[in-house]
Amino acid sequence: MSELDYNEEEVLARASQGDRDAFGQLYGHYVERIFNYVYYRTGNSHDAEDLTARVFQRAMNHIVNYTDRGVPFSAWLYRIAHNLVANWHRDRSRKQEIPIDDLPILPTKGDHPEKNLVRSQEQESLLKMIRKLPPERQNLLILKFVENMSNAEIGRIMGRSEGAVKSLYHRTLLALRDQLEDQNFNFEGE
Amino acid sequence: MTKHSNQTQEENLDVLEAHLAGTLKRVTPSNDVVQRLRGRIQIPTRSEITLRLTDWRRLLLIFGGVMSGMMLIVTLARAFYYLTGRKSTI
Repeated sequence: MSELDYNEEEVLARASQGDRDAFGQLYGHYVERIFNYVYYRTGNSHDAEDLTARVFQRAMNHIVNYTDRGVPFSAWLYRIAHNLVANWHRDRSRKQEIPIDDLPILPTKGDHPEKNLVRSQEQESLLKMIRKLPPERQNLLILKFVENMSNAEIGRIMGRSEGAVKSLYHRTLLALRDQLEDQNFNFEGE
Repeated sequence: MTKHSNQTQEENLDVLEAHLAGTLKRVTPSNDVVQRLRGRIQIPTRSEITLRLTDWRRLLLIFGGVMSGMMLIVTLARAFYYLTGRKSTI
């Protein structure tokens, strides 16, 4: 079955009856999104890979318990990912490890190397700032910018109304802007 | 003055959104990663064991079976000890 023939309801019904192929289709449909989410929440690809595997292992083991009560399957998966990332952060803070960030700062073609370097430094400081935000605000930014989701879609995943998401987004932007202004961040961009 | 300041702050928000869009870009995991993950999540034994453990009837049956087996072993052991012990004391 190709991605075009993907019918989530049908695939979910088969997967919840233990059909491995159906679960494989769900995996193919969502793996990139979950990987991105975990990647931006953890800040490194190694842990992102490990946690993504655990998200799908947990989903596979508990899919029999998943019932569609108006909550989309994606929201259920993101919830699992969110919980595992929270546990990961908790374990990491106990171990007092030094973070190694390897998020990619990709240069734009045709730009001068000096300009790229400045841009990379700006992006790095912005990423560090984002990772200091409360988890729900990080989730919101990741879903909005990485996944290009609308406020309504984000609301379904986060269990909030569209208006609440809009308000949280505005407050997040204001908080980020204030923090960046304190650090003399260059808003002009050039 | 206040109007100008508000306008600049709103402009800063727009610029911040543009920066966020440029920073939070979707990353594509390599095919190797996707395949490796697929391999990891399809380890049959682990998931099958977990699925079995969620079935409480099967779990009860297994528990009952194990307990019955243990009782049988203990009874046989006691009987054997009783018989051999008696012989040795005579």
